[in-house]
Amino acid sequence: MVWEEIVAFLEILLFPGFLFLIALALFYEWVDRKFFAKLQNRYGPLYTGPSGILQPLADFVKLLSKEDIIPKAADKFMFNSAPIFLLSLPLLALFLIPIADLTAVISFEGDLIFLMFLFTLVAVTVFIAGWSSVSRFSSVGGVRAGFQLLGYEIPMCLVMIGPAIVAKTLSISEIAGWQASNTAWFIWLQPLGFAIFVLCLLAELEWIPFDIPEAETEIVAGWMTEFGGPKLALIRLGKDVELLLAASLITSLFLGGPNSLWMIPPIVFFLLKTTCAVILLTTLRALFARFRIDQMIAGAWKYLLPLAILQIIIVQLGLAR
Amino acid sequence: MQIDPLISLPLIFFLSLLIALFLYLVGRRVGARGEESANKVSPYACGEDLPARKLQVDVERFLVYAVYFMIFDIVAFILATSLVTPSVFPVVYAAVVLMAVLILLPLWRRGQNGGHARAT
Repeated sequence: MVWEEIVAFLEILLFPGFLFLIALALFYEWVDRKFFAKLQNRYGPLYTGPSGILQPLADFVKLLSKEDIIPKAADKFMFNSAPIFLLSLPLLALFLIPIADLTAVISFEGDLIFLMFLFTLVAVTVFIAGWSSVSRFSSVGGVRAGFQLLGYEIPMCLVMIGPAIVAKTLSISEIAGWQASNTAWFIWLQPLGFAIFVLCLLAELEWIPFDIPEAETEIVAGWMTEFGGPKLALIRLGKDVELLLAASLITSLFLGGPNSLWMIPPIVFFLLKTTCAVILLTTLRALFARFRIDQMIAGAWKYLLPLAILQIIIVQLGLAR
Repeated sequence: MQIDPLISLPLIFFLSLLIALFLYLVGRRVGARGEESANKVSPYACGEDLPARKLQVDVERFLVYAVYFMIFDIVAFILATSLVTPSVFPVVYAAVVLMAVLILLPLWRRGQNGGHARAT
């Protein structure tokens, strides 16, 4: 009895727990940077470790060791706690997704809605981070992040509900299980929903073409301007964990999740599918230029939302099973 | 290994907060200690001498999107919780909301254009 709980605790801490997730997040940052560089005809990380694979870890450690400067005018409590929440909320969300097994570590009926709630919380924390570091660039960046939330949140929620309607369940593990047992992946059952989901994930990750809140050429670093040292290290690690979260959501909701094929453990399939999702997101990041915030919101409400509603209507009429 | 989510969810949230705090405190311990100077703690302004002030944000042009966000959020979650029977009623509800939005939008635009001047 006690042994089982110790094993469960070790599972949470090590595999597929915090250590594995953080290492995987750093690995996917490397994949993203290397592939992005190759698309731009340059090398990417090269020297730290074989083919630069330790570069994200080196960046993290370097940032941790810098001085932690707190601006005098900043709101101390929110400024100090925002980076901690920006790391811990995506980490919590990752435990809802089946990674090494067919059911996730935390799995209950309705955890899809809880995941949407965590996404919204992350966006609100970004706004708080920008607002509490009282600086012109940070405020503008934080406000733009809030507006961007208004744009992508509804289409993303609607297309996440698409697979849930077909699988008749609101649990991510069971949606992945439905795809495994019916050998039908939602990427070809609901391709419109998949396309909209990928676009909304780009907006949620604040990646080009939707990196308006941290537009480097316009507002220095947006909401991250006043953060430095260990706070910036936590924020960047939080962004990497969010990338892992987005890619693994694509895997579980649309690509069939970690189903196993005779002797091969499910984690291998999870890694393969998630790497493909990361490469897809990186390719989109390399291809496009940045939108303006009013273009982004107007485009989301004029194009993405009607298409998402159309996808839901198609699903409800029974055409996408 | 399935733990009851009522226990595992707060436990894992608490653990992830602890890990984030731990990394942060390691950073502060290991990090460099600098000297205080007035320029270091003033907000970044590309070298100019701007005082720190909270900005006044112009939300007027995005207010209509916020209202639509509220309406469609409710539609989305009603759709989400009507999963048991994929019947025609949620579709009818979504269609009614869509028609209401389509009817209201030109009226809103006409009111905005005829009223006060547009803020760019």
